[in-house]
Formats: sequence, structure tokens, C-alpha cells
Amino acid sequence: MDELLRRHLPESVVMALVTAVLTIPILGVRIHIENLQVTLEGDGTPVYIAMAVVFLVRLFRAPLSQITGMVRIDRLLPSSDWLTRYRTGLLAAMIVLALIWPFVASRGAVDIATLALIYVMLGLGLNIVVGFAGLLDLGYVAFYAVGAYSYALLNQHFGLSFWECLPISIVLAGATGCLLGFPVLRLRGDYLAIVTLGFGEIIRLLLNNLDELTGGPDGIGNIPKPTLFGLEFARRASTEGGVTFHDFFGLRYDGADTIIFLYLIALLLALFTLFVSNRLLRMPVGRAWEALREDEIACRSLGLNPTLIKLSAFSLGASFGGMAGAFFAARQGFINPESFTFIESAIVLAIVVLGGMGSQLGVILAAVALTALPEVARQFDEYRMLIFGLIMVLMMIWRPQGLLPATRPRMELPQ
Amino acid sequence: MILSTRSLKTMLLGALALSPLAQAEDAIKIAVVGPITGPVAQYGEMQMIGAKMAIEQINAQGGVIGKQLEYMPMDDVCEPKQAVAVANQVVNDGIKFVVGHLCSGSTQPASDIYDDEGVVMITPASTNPSITQRGLKMVFRTIGTDDQQGPVAGKYIAEHIKPKQMAIIHDKQQYGQGIAEEVKKTVEAAGVNVVLFEGVNKGQTDFSALITKLKQANVDFVYYGGYHPELGLILRQSKEQGFDAGFMGPEGVGNKAISEIAGPASEGLLVTLPADFSTNPANADLVKAFKDKGEDPSGPFVMPSYAAVQVIADAIKEVGAPDAEKVAEAMHKGTYETPIGKISFKENGDLSEFEFVVFTWHADGSKTPAQ
Amino acid sequence: MSETSLVLLQQVINGLTLGSIYALIAIGYTMVYGIIGMINFAHGEVYMIGAYVGLLVITALGLLGITSVPVILLLTLAVCILVTSVFGWTLERVAYRPLRGNPRLVALISAIGMSIFLQNYVQIGQGARDVAMQPLVSGGWRFGPANGFQVYLSYMQVLIAVTTVLFMTLLTLFIARSRMGRACRACAQDLDMANLLGIDTDRVISLTFVLGAGLAAVAGVLVGLYYGLINPFIGFIAGIKAFTAAVLGGIGSIPGAMLGGLVLGLAESFTSAYLSTEYKDVVAFLLLVFVLLFRPTGLLGKPDVEKV
Repeated sequence: MDELLRRHLPESVVMALVTAVLTIPILGVRIHIENLQVTLEGDGTPVYIAMAVVFLVRLFRAPLSQITGMVRIDRLLPSSDWLTRYRTGLLAAMIVLALIWPFVASRGAVDIATLALIYVMLGLGLNIVVGFAGLLDLGYVAFYAVGAYSYALLNQHFGLSFWECLPISIVLAGATGCLLGFPVLRLRGDYLAIVTLGFGEIIRLLLNNLDELTGGPDGIGNIPKPTLFGLEFARRASTEGGVTFHDFFGLRYDGADTIIFLYLIALLLALFTLFVSNRLLRMPVGRAWEALREDEIACRSLGLNPTLIKLSAFSLGASFGGMAGAFFAARQGFINPESFTFIESAIVLAIVVLGGMGSQLGVILAAVALTALPEVARQFDEYRMLIFGLIMVLMMIWRPQGLLPATRPRMELPQ
Repeated sequence: MILSTRSLKTMLLGALALSPLAQAEDAIKIAVVGPITGPVAQYGEMQMIGAKMAIEQINAQGGVIGKQLEYMPMDDVCEPKQAVAVANQVVNDGIKFVVGHLCSGSTQPASDIYDDEGVVMITPASTNPSITQRGLKMVFRTIGTDDQQGPVAGKYIAEHIKPKQMAIIHDKQQYGQGIAEEVKKTVEAAGVNVVLFEGVNKGQTDFSALITKLKQANVDFVYYGGYHPELGLILRQSKEQGFDAGFMGPEGVGNKAISEIAGPASEGLLVTLPADFSTNPANADLVKAFKDKGEDPSGPFVMPSYAAVQVIADAIKEVGAPDAEKVAEAMHKGTYETPIGKISFKENGDLSEFEFVVFTWHADGSKTPAQ
Repeated sequence: MSETSLVLLQQVINGLTLGSIYALIAIGYTMVYGIIGMINFAHGEVYMIGAYVGLLVITALGLLGITSVPVILLLTLAVCILVTSVFGWTLERVAYRPLRGNPRLVALISAIGMSIFLQNYVQIGQGARDVAMQPLVSGGWRFGPANGFQVYLSYMQVLIAVTTVLFMTLLTLFIARSRMGRACRACAQDLDMANLLGIDTDRVISLTFVLGAGLAAVAGVLVGLYYGLINPFIGFIAGIKAFTAAVLGGIGSIPGAMLGGLVLGLAESFTSAYLSTEYKDVVAFLLLVFVLLFRPTGLLGKPDVEKV
């Protein structure tokens, strides 16, 4: 024990001092402005606490790591073999849970779940690009925006309904993906990342600047919610002679019905995304994506056209982004460029990576977790985003392969 | 038999025994929604302290109709998607009165939900006219609108300044651009020559290129639509470069912080503001109460938030019950004595009168009415 | 000179000043990328922290009654570099070192997480509101006709340019001449090989973060003094711009970061001047796209050979 202390003590002191440097300028000394006079206010308590914690943890890290060594986070989470075996069962359980959710949960919870489903769509869409094809896209929000604005504008100018606009939004977002992807896909990894980031920003700035077309920062309002075979979910029909859902079935109006209906549509769209991307992966094109991700040169020597394969991944991923966007516009009823900032792209990317790149189940779980987390942490108010950032870092350290890592098709040679 | 989703829900709830215990809640909850975190949290804070003070003072006097008010701060980060989630949460929690939201972009989607669900919403900060132009019955505001404020500024410019070459700059946000367009309309109708109408980016810090351009165009007066950080920087950098035109801005810039940023360059800036509530002698006690708590009552949204809570409380008293629909009806008819003056609401929920006054700003952060 | 050329000169000055600041931040990105091939997304936050520390030190010195500008400047820079270096070092130890050997995306996500964390950490400590810094150095030179358009070059702009060039030169000399610098270059070429040859690569990587953070702090202090406005969110925008500058110049190349920063600064300045300010970011990103289309590794980047 003595020897242990002697060995760790100097290091612990140094770490405590480092902590002091990290905390004094932010927590220890605060800027205070009163009547245009800048003064400083000192408050040692948080600094001392932080120093003490770091000192003790470093000093006793050997016994501590013995304790924590017994509870390994990554052992608590299932292994990929386990997942392969129970994948279908898990998926079925999730879908059943999703189906009964709106009827058991509160209105707020259903709405949050709808938001989570939007992120499931986005996550699964980006998963095609990042997870399957291995292309790092930091500007995915561009396609989300294209989808949302397509619906909003087509509705505003041509009076098209949500169901008419949905396929158009998907096609338009896919086309944008093609258009943007064509010139940039020959760039390598990180260059591709920064260019996509640039495109994301360009699209948002254009939406903000082209006032005549997009309404600029005012955005577009009064976007109608989806209808059920022409039946509106609203207290009063918006058009002359329109029929509302509750009138048609002779029910009392309940605002929660709208929320539940929106949730069910989101669920439908998310399941569609899951189904399609699942099928795609088993088609030649999906196999080509994975092959390309693993080794581009080998792919090329086998006669595959990398540009075409990348482009297909990019534009398919984009179409799902567009679909999510159109739904988002319908849920919000009002969109403006503020909803399509870079941080949205970062969150979707975080979902894909946290879930485990290429793993659809993982992406779904991560989307739910990341949307629910800020809500759960709402009590902590100002600490919410702090915790969010911290969890992203810790997850990467403890479980870099994601919550539920994807299983790669593999074959073992007989001994 | 027709099963409504509601009854299905109740059945399932019973079946799964997940029903939350009915809460015996006696207090009247007032949700105060605004950005508690995020880049505009400082404006959210103004709203929070104003509303909180009102609730505390009303409670100290015994509450309304024998019930206490409960302060429920909620964070929408000024993000439209969060705003919708918060609105649904409010409805879910059975809260019937909302003070908020702050950013017009959040208020607009949230107000649809409140109106549909019969929740009274008073925004103390969103000035975009479109919010109340959609025939909503439950939506009010205790602040003026851009189309009330813009013409005041425009008229002042055309009548008193009479610039030869004027420039209008805005921050490409709903608030800033909206008001800049109103000003442009008014001054152009009065024959003022607007040589430049341009947007800058929110969060931009370097304006040197823009200022050089203004200097080259011999601009002698600049109207800026937006908030104080950007205008503060523009003022400071203009002085540095020796560009000495007159400047004017809306209430979003009328904040002591602009003098912190621009220093002596903020001297002589013209600002359209609601008549200053914190210097109004009638509010002296209230101002002192804020100061005692170490809070700043001079922010543009503090008093409107206070007023919003007060209006809700008074209307509940009038109705005699916290019934949102009736309270909204009463609010449409009533007249209320608040720190922002005697107020009443128009059919669409806007204040029937909200007076903007042109002030001259001084380098020490004080202001005097312009002649 | 005619008025148009005077205006042009002024815009060049404006652009170069802005570009110098981008360049200082861009160095941090480029060095980290050059050695471990990772985008350190939290670098912008280190710059933001540098600006806060700068404000604290300047205020503290002011309260202590020190008025000599050079003393304040030097002390502030010294303290800021020290503090942010510790931040840079800790960042690498806590968030990136445990992840080494994992796919790149993992480190990128960790960096994005760290960026969100630091932003909120400062917000909790110092509040979300804008804090203003009064100018320490004011005044400048004016050229041009007395009654026409005058070009203005402030002392602060000169200070920014001189400091940037000075620190760049020091860094370049350090990389080119010193033992540690040679180790850095070796690591940039081949990390594993350098490790095999007895270079303490962990130390080199730490050093890279420390140097990058130090330069970001210099940028933070200069920006604080020049523009006079800081808040916990300035790091994000500056970070994206600086990263763009680094890629534009060719990521991994130090002169490239300098060039990229200047080109970006000039592009923004000219767009504001001759087109419209609201399109300056669009043009900045379009420039990036076009440069990468024709020179996929940036202006001064080495074309990398794909090895099988």
C-alpha cells in the first residue's frame, strides 16, 4: 500500500494541478459585468472539489480499477454473435413495442417518439452512406432540408397533399444527392467529409438567402398535416366542405389523435426505410457498397465502377433523408432554415456511429436513445448538453464499435 | 361499437396498469418556455427572470383565487423541433397557461398546438407579425410587432434625419430582416434614397469589408435590423475605420451590452424601444425588487414577461377559475394595468396599442428620448 | 491612386487580417491531421477558451493596475498559451488517446462530443451571454486624399499580421530544426515506423496538441482584442472556417494552412465588398469545393499515393 501511494502520489499531485488549470479560468473566476465595468468574481469551491476528486481518483486508481474491472461496460452489452442469433426476435419485439406505444404512453411521450422515428429514418438513411458504403458525409442535413422544402413549396404553390409530395420529395432529394455527389465522390475520405459539410452549409445559406423562393428566414408556415384518405386531423376542416376524422367517425375531437396518427405515419415510414435498406444490403448493389468500403482498389480490379456504386449509395441515402424531411415539415407545420444547421448532421452521424456503423438495429436504438436523452435529462436543464457531449465521448472510449455492432458476413476456413 | 382511440387507450392503460396516479394538484401551473441553454440563452434569461418575479410577487400576495401559481421553466433552445416537443409536453402535463416562446421561429409552430389544444399562450418576445395573422384564438403577445416598430423608425428617419444615402443592414433572421423590410418600405415611400439593403450572417464578427463598402458608397445613415452583438461590432469597427455615419436599430439592440461591446462608438445610436419600463417611476418598487435579487430589469423582454404573467393572473381572477378558454375570452375583452402600461388586446391577440419611442443611446449604456 | 484602387487596397487589408486569424487556428487542425490523420473537431473550442482566458487575464491585470500595453500583451499571451496547452494536452489524453487504433470516425465522434462538452462547460462557468473586451491597442495609420476615401490600417491589424508571421516562423523553425520537430516529421510520414525507430510517439502526439492549442490561444486573444466580443459559441464558426482553410491549403501542410487561411479571408472580404455579405460563406464553401475538385489534396497538399 505504501509503495502504491509512493508511486501514484506525485502523479496524482500533478493531475490535481492540471485540473486546477482546467477549472480556474472557467469555474473558479467568473466574469461579472455591472454598469459597463468588467470585474472578476472568484469562487474556489468548484475548483477545490474538482481537484480533490481528480486527486483521489488518480491516487487510488489501482484499487478502483480492480472494482470497475469487474463491471466491464462492454461485457454488459450484447456481443455480435448474440445479436445475429436473436436479431429477428429483437426486431419483432421492437416493432411490437412501437405499435402499442401510442396507446399506452402519454401525449408528450408519443410526440417524442415521433421525433425519435424521424431520427431513425435519418439514421438508417445515413447508415447507407456511412455504414454500408463507408463514405463520411457531414452534410446530410442538406437532403433533409431539400425534402422538407419540397413538400412545403409544392404544397404552397400547387396545393399538393402530403401523400402526393412524399414520393416527389424522395425523388428530389435523391436527385440532389446525385447532383452533389457526382463531382465530389472522387475525393477521398476526409476531403469528402469537409466538402459535404460545405454543401450542407451552402444549401442552408441558399434557403436563407433566396427569399423569393423559400421565404428566407421567415420560412414557410401553414403546412398541412397528412390526411387519412382525405380525412383531416383538426378541430375544424381547413377547406370548405372538408371532412375531419372525428366528424367522419362521429368521435369527440381529441388533439391526441393527431399526435398518434402522425406517430403511426412516422412508424410506417421508418419501417419502410428499414425494410428497403435491409433488402438493398442483400442485393448486388449492397454487396458492392460493402466491398467498396473494405477495399476500393480490389473492387476496381474486379471490374466494379466505384463512382457509380458510391453515387448509388449517396443518392439512395439522400432520398431517405428527403423522406424524413417531408415528414418533418408535416409534423412541424412550419419550417425555416434554422432547423437545418450543421449540428443536425452531427447528431445523425452520432446516431449512426453510436449505434454501430452498418448495424440497423443499433442505429434504431441509438436514434431512440439520443432523442430521449435530452428529454430525460431535461430536469438537469443547463447540464443537459454537457452530459450529452460527455456520453458521446465515453461511449466512444468504452464501446467504439457502437451499441450493437454490425455483423459482417464472414466465412472461416476449416482448420 | 365505435372505439375511440381515447377509450382504447384507457383500456390498455388499465390492462397494463401503467396509469399514473392522479395527482391532487392545487397550484396553477404557468409554463415559461424559452431558451435556457444554447446561443440565445441570454434572452431566455430575461424572460425567465421577468416571469419568475411576477409569479413570486403574486404568490406573496396570496396567489389568485386562493391558489398559488407554479413557475415551470421549460427549455426549447429556440429550436423549432424542440419547441413542438415542449408544446406537446405542456399539453401533456395539463398546463393551461404558457408565457413564451421567445424566438419567432419557435413560437410559430408551437402556437398551432396551443391554439388547437386550448392553451393560453402569451409571447413576451416574438415580434414577427405572422404569428398572430393566422386567426388563432388562444395566442397573445405583450410586445409590439415588427410592423408597428418599423414604421416608427422609418418615419423618424425620413422626418428628422433626412439622409442622402441610406443603407439598411439586417442579420438574415426572421426578426431582423422583417423589421428591416418594414423600415425600407416606410423610408422609400417618404423618398429616402436607400443605396444598400444587405444581410449579414448571425454570429459574424468581421464586418470590415462591409464597412469599407458603406464608406465607399458615402452612406450617411445606417439602419440595422437585428440584435446587439452584431450591431455593437459594426459600430466599433466603423469607428475604427473612420466611417462616421449615424446608426439606428430596433429594440433588439437596445441593451446595455451594446455599450459594453461598442464602448464610446455607441454614443448617439438611435434605438426604437418600447417606452422604458424600468425607468418609469411607477415601476420603481419592481425595479428595486429585481436589483435586490441581483437581476437586471432593463432587458427588453423582462417587463413584457412580467406583464404576461400578470395578465394571466388577472384574467383568471376575473373568470374565477383557471379555465383557459374563458380566460382567453376575458383577455380579449379586458384591460390590464401592468408594468408595460395599461394594455388591452386586439381580436388577433396583438396589443391594441404598443408605443415605440425613439431613444438616443449613450456610451455609458443610458438612453434619453430623442427630440 | 484612384478611389477604386484605394478601396481595393482596404479590402485586401481587411481580408488579410481575417485570413491571418483563420491561419492561426488552421495550424492546429493541420498539425493534428498531419500526424494522426484525425479531424480534431474540438479545436475551435480551445480557441474559444483561449479568448476567455485572455479576457480574464487582461481584466485581472487591469484590476492590479498594470497599464503598460506590451507587458499586458506578453503576460496575457503567456498565460493563455499555458492554459490552453493544458487543455490541448488533456483533450488528447482523455478523449483521443484511448481511441487510437480505432476507425477514424470513432475519434471524430469523440471530438464532436468533446466540442459540445467544452462549449457547455464554458457556458455553465461563464454564462451564455456575450462578453465584451475593450480595445487595448487603438489607433492606426490613414492614407489617401483628405477629402476622399482613406485607407485605414490599424495598429491592431499590423499586430495580428506580425504575430501570425512570427508564430508561423517559430513553428516552421521548430519543425525544421529541433529534435522534437524532426520527430514530428517522422511521425507524420509513418507513425508505426517512427515508433519502431525509438521515437516516443505518444509524446510527439501530445506535443502536437499542445502546440496547436497554444496557437489557437494566440488567435483567441488577438480576436478578443480586435473584435472585442466573445461568447461560448464563437469556437464553432471559427473552427469550421479554419478547418476549411486547412483543407483548402492542403491539410497536413503548415504553409498550406497559412495560404488557405489568407485565401479564405480574401475570398470572404471580396465577396462582401463586390457581391453581398450574405453570400460570403456560400462563396467560401464553393471555393473549397472547386479547389478540391481540381486539386483534390488542396493547394499545397502532397498528392497521396494509394498503396495496395
